[in-house]
Amino acid sequence: MLKEFTKGIFRENPIFIIVLGLCPALGVSTKVINAIGMGAGVIFVLLGSNIFVSLLKNFIPEKVRIPSYIVIIASFVTIVQMVMEAFAPALYKSLGVFVPLIVVNCIILGRAEAFANKNTVMSSIMDALGMGVGFTLALLLIAFIRESLGAGTITLFPVGSFSGVIRIPVLADNPIRVFGLAAGALLVIGFLKAFFNWYSERRAR
Amino acid sequence: MNDILRIGSKLALICAVAAISLGLVNAVTEPKINQMREQKLMNALKQVAVGMEVGKYKKVADNPVVKGYYPLRDNSGKQKGYIFDLVGMGYGGDLDIIAGVSTKGKILSVVMMNDQETPGLGKEAENPEYMKKYIGTGEISPVPVRKSQLSQEEADAITGASITFMGIGKALEAASDFAKKEGVE
Repeated sequence: MLKEFTKGIFRENPIFIIVLGLCPALGVSTKVINAIGMGAGVIFVLLGSNIFVSLLKNFIPEKVRIPSYIVIIASFVTIVQMVMEAFAPALYKSLGVFVPLIVVNCIILGRAEAFANKNTVMSSIMDALGMGVGFTLALLLIAFIRESLGAGTITLFPVGSFSGVIRIPVLADNPIRVFGLAAGALLVIGFLKAFFNWYSERRAR
Repeated sequence: MNDILRIGSKLALICAVAAISLGLVNAVTEPKINQMREQKLMNALKQVAVGMEVGKYKKVADNPVVKGYYPLRDNSGKQKGYIFDLVGMGYGGDLDIIAGVSTKGKILSVVMMNDQETPGLGKEAENPEYMKKYIGTGEISPVPVRKSQLSQEEADAITGASITFMGIGKALEAASDFAKKEGVE
């Protein structure tokens, strides 16, 4: 059971190994705080959709499974968004923009199709948590590299008198702006993917 | 034939359950969300009014950008400006903007109320810092709507999100022109 959880973090990391969910990874990895927000949203929705798909796997007819999954995912995302806006406005303000983006995140549909519709609820929960955490860690790594090189800052949640922004002395005055743009995102992801490929090949040998 | 009916009805059932649960959640959350939005508008109006008295809302029908305005008066009741309710064109859809403008067309304050811009790029416009480049323009210097009207540093900061910048600029320009034309109500 624990294996279903740990596989998502490295061996089957959604971004670097399965290469799913690249669009949000490119889009929101400009700041560390965005990566945290997107990651939290994905873990939450992935958990919900995996549970429901796994519960309904015998009910959903084979031929219309994709539309059914999409209905489940979209409703779940909408519910999360509405509940958050009404009862946790502060959280909604910082995470809200990522929630609608999650519907089109292919990790969610990918896990429903590849895992949850063949496995028990318990393993699907572990799979969702593992994949979600793996996605979040990958996003954090990309965002950390991009923000520290591209802007010379690290943006976290503001707590009390701490504004949430850490400035890196030399880089903040001479940022390498390309890392903040889309081209930089592709560069960073490319190099990280190459590293992951090299590492997993070496381990396999 | 039977097969199609069976599959269709199952899919319909899933959709129906989804719709019902969405409806239920909406019924619970909608009043709270509306209340929150009203509160947000009140706060924004207070912030934009900078101590002046906010008059009654007036709708504007024949303007694509200016949806309406509140007149702004000082203590003696003299009109000093407007608070405009604006809708601009952003990258991800409409931008709902509240802006204070003097009767001579000078932009006094700007608050982004609602937008669907890209996080990390256009979304930066929600930051009060972002609006500084517009404030003070409109009376003598024009409201910036092109990157070339900004300083190098400001232009760098909006790289990758120039459509948002132009959308806000154009909405504010329309507000400034409206205030100039109308003068004192």
